[in-house]
Amino acid sequence: MKRKWLLTTLLAGLLSILTWGMPREQVQAAETYTIGTDVTFAPFEFADKNNQYVGIDIDLLNAIAKEEGFSVQWKTVGFNAAVQALEAGQIDGVMAGMSITPERQQKFAMSDPYYKSGIAMAVAKNSSIQSMKDLKGKRVAVKTGTASADFANANKNKYGFTTVTFDDSNNVYQDVTTGNSQACFEDFPVMQYGIATGVGLKVTNKTPYEANNYGIAVLKSHQADLLVKINAGLKKLKQNGQYDKIVAKYLGDGSQASQAKKTKATQETDRSFLGLLKSNKDTLLAGLLETMELTVVGILCATVIGVLIGLLGVVPNAIAQGAATTFIYIFRGLPMIVLALFIYTGIPSLTGAHIPAFIAGIITLTLNEGAYTAAFVKGGIKAVDRGQMEAARSLGLPWGKAMRRVILPQGIKIMIPSFINQFIITLKDTSILSVLGLLELTQTGKIIIARNMEGFKIWTMVALIYLVLITLLTWLSNYIQKKVH
Amino acid sequence: MTKTRIEMKNVHKRYGHNEVVQGVDLKVEDNEVVVLIGPSGAGKSTVLRMMNGLETTTSGEILIDGTDIAKAHVDIDKVRQKIGMVFQHFNLFPNLTVLGNITMAPVELGLMTKAEADKEGRRLLDVVGLADKVDARPAKLSGGQKQRVAIARALAMHPDIMLFDEPTSALDPEMVGDVLAVMRRLADDGMTMVIVTHEMGFAKEVADRVVFFGDGKILEQGSPAQMFDHPQHERLQGFLQKVLEA
Repeated sequence: MKRKWLLTTLLAGLLSILTWGMPREQVQAAETYTIGTDVTFAPFEFADKNNQYVGIDIDLLNAIAKEEGFSVQWKTVGFNAAVQALEAGQIDGVMAGMSITPERQQKFAMSDPYYKSGIAMAVAKNSSIQSMKDLKGKRVAVKTGTASADFANANKNKYGFTTVTFDDSNNVYQDVTTGNSQACFEDFPVMQYGIATGVGLKVTNKTPYEANNYGIAVLKSHQADLLVKINAGLKKLKQNGQYDKIVAKYLGDGSQASQAKKTKATQETDRSFLGLLKSNKDTLLAGLLETMELTVVGILCATVIGVLIGLLGVVPNAIAQGAATTFIYIFRGLPMIVLALFIYTGIPSLTGAHIPAFIAGIITLTLNEGAYTAAFVKGGIKAVDRGQMEAARSLGLPWGKAMRRVILPQGIKIMIPSFINQFIITLKDTSILSVLGLLELTQTGKIIIARNMEGFKIWTMVALIYLVLITLLTWLSNYIQKKVH
Repeated sequence: MTKTRIEMKNVHKRYGHNEVVQGVDLKVEDNEVVVLIGPSGAGKSTVLRMMNGLETTTSGEILIDGTDIAKAHVDIDKVRQKIGMVFQHFNLFPNLTVLGNITMAPVELGLMTKAEADKEGRRLLDVVGLADKVDARPAKLSGGQKQRVAIARALAMHPDIMLFDEPTSALDPEMVGDVLAVMRRLADDGMTMVIVTHEMGFAKEVADRVVFFGDGKILEQGSPAQMFDHPQHERLQGFLQKVLEA
């Protein structure tokens, strides 16, 4: 009786959590387009101190949407993930300070230029490097997949430097500040904005290298609708002065003073540990909640799948055992980050089916943690003395009954420490799902740091939250373990 | 007229190139007590385990009450319900109490209600002299006690045949007597029994027939008197000399 009740509650909980995690569809008459953007690319897109996404890109497209009567759902997943998601058809467009290049024009439908940019070379404040000629034998940091990266790679042989790539602008700057790299290439306005916000670098070139234009990329299938609307809206905004207003809002008149003023509006004022904790409390809590959701649903799904596959692995049938072994081999063998990206961007680009990031994350956890679970479930059952099965079968019990009444109760005792271990690993592994842009604890930390550059303090907070969570989970597991014994 | 309970016809068992059972023909009649003896590796345990399908056969027939259990379509679970088995290492279920070990199978298979099984279990524990261990965990019992519980567990299914696979080999010498006493009583009550054992004294006393195995074959069989007092085969003579000397 009791067991049935427990099972029902678990299932109900699982269902409600699953539906909770689903993106809630907004009922709207107007067409809604999903637009991917970068996590941090100030002043084009970044989270302000209230953790609202703002920036030239965000404001501009929202204004265009208003003008043209459609609505925008922003997906802040990082530049690379956004481009991959667009290639996979998971989203409708990308607006992330994206330079218009021939390759991109071939792959996507690119809008009219909305911002004239170019490349800046920045070095540490006290650096003696003045131009690209001084880069011989040095290391240069760039952001993956950007025009700046292309520029750096095209010139590295000529000037004799090497490059190192990062996924976030913040990490690019950090690498130069710490001295690991001696220079970085970055979009000109972005670099200027970053320096005004407190990045300890200086720009070496007065005029941008490779002057280029930013454009909005949309799916080629949207060439006739979304692209037309964007171009029309952009034209109107430029004519009625709204465009200049938006740009000025973030870049001011270009002077350091005006930028500092703008910066203040978006940044925390109290930079102490407690002050930062206070001002980011809600954001961190939201991240914590997402991490817990992923962990709970992930553990439940992985345990169910793992136990089923593990049992399949001991069924006296060669096909069943082969299937279980293959499952364990594949999903235990794949790095989780590869599996996550494969499911989120790989499969959709093949089939055209959209998979929400949360669901993709859960599938990843289910397969990866499920494979580990299956392996120790199988091992736990096999660790039960062979004579137990023989004795049960010799009494005339069918295999299933013998398994349920004799082998499993003994096997589970053997497995319990592995289960606890796996639960803790699952909790930690949810951080890997930040590559899908899921706003869980790690991704939340990244975003906050991208805004305020307080890496040490924020990562300390994030680390402490994980430790508290893991402590609670361990206590809970030990309590359950005691109950079972 | 006696009824044949077990009949093995030209049974072979091969592991790769190693043929551990090489054409065994053996009949066990109702109420008969047959003891299998022979050096280790002679195939006697394998033959015993074939009688309830724990070992498969490579070829040959094994008829239990006329049904060939080597055939694929036979419901082996049904056949096993009527054949009790006692193992060298007892194989009690450590997750159940002593009584639970005895009642689990009849209840799980729907042959008895929980109450009936409990009553029968207590009776059987009384028979094997362990009435006071009803609620004990197997881990708390001595080897001899464990083996007597294992016998009670097999008897709870009301089997027609009991198989014993070296039931006293893992016991301390002072425990052997209690287990043999229970087996002797079973034999006296007319249970059909096949026993693999090294207890020659017990074989002599209880067996209706003794079967000597060597190299996967039956080399000689007969009454205890014939076998122990006038062994014909030179291998049996050698074997007895070694065991009786020890």
